[in-house]
Amino acid sequence: MAGTALAPAKVRVKTSEKRGHRSRIALVNAVPVTVFLLVLFVYPIIGVLSLSLEGDSGGFTLHWYADALSGVNLSVLLSTLRISAETALLSLLVGFVLAHAIARMRPVFAALAMLIVVVPHFISALVRTYGWIIMLGEHGILNTLATSLHAPGAPYSLLYNETGVVIGTTSVMLPYTVLVLQGVMRGVDGRLLAAAAGFGASRFTIFRRIYLPLVAPGIGTAGLLSFILCLGYYITPALMGGGKQTVVAALIDQQVMQQDQWNGAAAFGVILLLLTFAGLGVLGLAKLRRKKTAARRSSS
Amino acid sequence: MPERTQSLTAGKLSADDLAAALAPRSSSPTGKSLSVTGLRKSYGGTTVVDGVDMEIAAGEFVTFLGSSGSGKTTTLMMLAGFTEPDSGSIAVDGHDITRLNPGKRDFGFVFQQYLLFPHMTVAENVAFPLQLRGVDKAEIRRRVGETLEAAGLSKFAGRKPRELSGGQQQRVALCRVLVYRPPIVLMDEPLGALDKKLRDQMQTEIKSIQRELGLTVVYVTHDQEEALVLSDRIAIMKDGSIEQFDTPRGLFERPRTPFVADFLGAANFLTGKVEDGRGDDCTRVRLDTGGVLTARAHACVPGQSVRAAVRPGKLRLVSAEEGCCTGTVETAVYVGSLTRITVRLDGAAPGTPPLRIETALAPPRPGERVCVTADQDDVSVFDATDGG
Repeated sequence: MAGTALAPAKVRVKTSEKRGHRSRIALVNAVPVTVFLLVLFVYPIIGVLSLSLEGDSGGFTLHWYADALSGVNLSVLLSTLRISAETALLSLLVGFVLAHAIARMRPVFAALAMLIVVVPHFISALVRTYGWIIMLGEHGILNTLATSLHAPGAPYSLLYNETGVVIGTTSVMLPYTVLVLQGVMRGVDGRLLAAAAGFGASRFTIFRRIYLPLVAPGIGTAGLLSFILCLGYYITPALMGGGKQTVVAALIDQQVMQQDQWNGAAAFGVILLLLTFAGLGVLGLAKLRRKKTAARRSSS
Repeated sequence: MPERTQSLTAGKLSADDLAAALAPRSSSPTGKSLSVTGLRKSYGGTTVVDGVDMEIAAGEFVTFLGSSGSGKTTTLMMLAGFTEPDSGSIAVDGHDITRLNPGKRDFGFVFQQYLLFPHMTVAENVAFPLQLRGVDKAEIRRRVGETLEAAGLSKFAGRKPRELSGGQQQRVALCRVLVYRPPIVLMDEPLGALDKKLRDQMQTEIKSIQRELGLTVVYVTHDQEEALVLSDRIAIMKDGSIEQFDTPRGLFERPRTPFVADFLGAANFLTGKVEDGRGDDCTRVRLDTGGVLTARAHACVPGQSVRAAVRPGKLRLVSAEEGCCTGTVETAVYVGSLTRITVRLDGAAPGTPPLRIETALAPPRPGERVCVTADQDDVSVFDATDGG
């Protein structure tokens, strides 16, 4: 009697031991990732956050944020946002045309075209930016050509102003938008477009009612990606803006390198991070709303 | 599963309603005639469709039946306008449409992959062709509502296609086509992705809608049974051309080529020679295994080597009759309503398959000696050099 009563208990102990053992192993497996994230992401972010909230003589303060969001600093922040938005739009526009062309090519040529789009990205941003400076300068290739053709208004000032910065950053962001868009476009079932044509839809209607809605998620992702990347981008704006066109990243550099002002720089960093989160939030919200409208439709 | 069963029955009940809802107010049939001449298409030196000619009457249900690679889908794609023919012409009610864009042909298409627009709801999908035709909003809402109601899909109107089962999606695809009442509907294996039970039921629906509306339907399938159930006439395709274009009964009872004889159902082939010395009448075939079969009238030369084809169900076992072929029963398998027997004929060349016979009468036992014959009407004769 005692034996039979004990036996299952023993078994139970064994299995629970085994389970405990297994979950302990799982925990051990998770350690490297956890440590990695803690050391390289969480700690620095908390460090920057506390730096941005620390007064000159210690203690809590918000005045770094007040500084960052007022006067010249605010206008730099706003122009950074504007440049990022312009870059996102322009790279979406150019990227869409490019990606659309590539998506329709035969695989071999598509791979080649993708290579041409991506390879410049392997070259140092510095070199690329100087390339643009040669192209766009007052006596650069483009202006020389325009002047010799007697184009109205030539030579254009394409460098050391916002136009120059946007051209530069767009060229940097383009591979990302093309990659994202091309992936989505390849996923569009060509037979759906043919089916729409079969119902008598014009090419414009097919584009507007079928193609565009099907690639819309990709457009959102690509646009936001280049916007976010552009927010913190430094080299190209610094060189092609010619010091006149300052962006937040340049301001941070200035504060740290020239003024040894870490607290203000940290505040800017946190603001950029929050803006990035806001961007991601917008995308997430859009997705959620799409889902909700779909759910509402199906329930009605 | 209960949801699926429910929608199944809903569909079954509503096939006639759907047809009624879609029927034009006037009683004239909506279908148009289609005539195809010398249609050819090759891809990089490989001829895929090699001279297809056919006349399809208004309101007729015609099926292209063939195995994959027979050119049936390419032919349909040329009719649809998605593929441009190398030569040949297509005319609807006498008007040439060979070079017309798919959208300008005003055909309806239903494909195996449904091709519903994934970002639109069921109702939006069905409304799409009507919007393209400039139908006003209230009318669109009414017709979409009616069509979905009749197809038993009303409660799915607001759903996205991916939230529906395969059968429901195919029904939506059908609604999307029928809602604008195209005179000619082309279907490329529309039921290929459905399970057997659902397929049977959808066949009934499609057939009853087609008949009710008087639609001209051109259908592609590799499923013989489906072709037989649906079609007024079947075009059997092989290597890019039509082997025979006939009613199901015609194909079964009077196959014009060995391929057709063997493809639809099954056939026993017996080699022999046309008997000499009977003038123009060459209906008597002396078989290589001994015995004589009397065949239907056909064009031939006395003394010619031929193959006679007889369906398993048309071979008769007789006790002894003039000219019957003697042999030994190898197997006899009872399969319900009838028994399948294989018989090895005396003198059959080694390697030739035994005769397959189906009989509803008391079957012989394996090893028993039998004599086999067939009625004149059930024997088709082909030139021995014909493939198949």
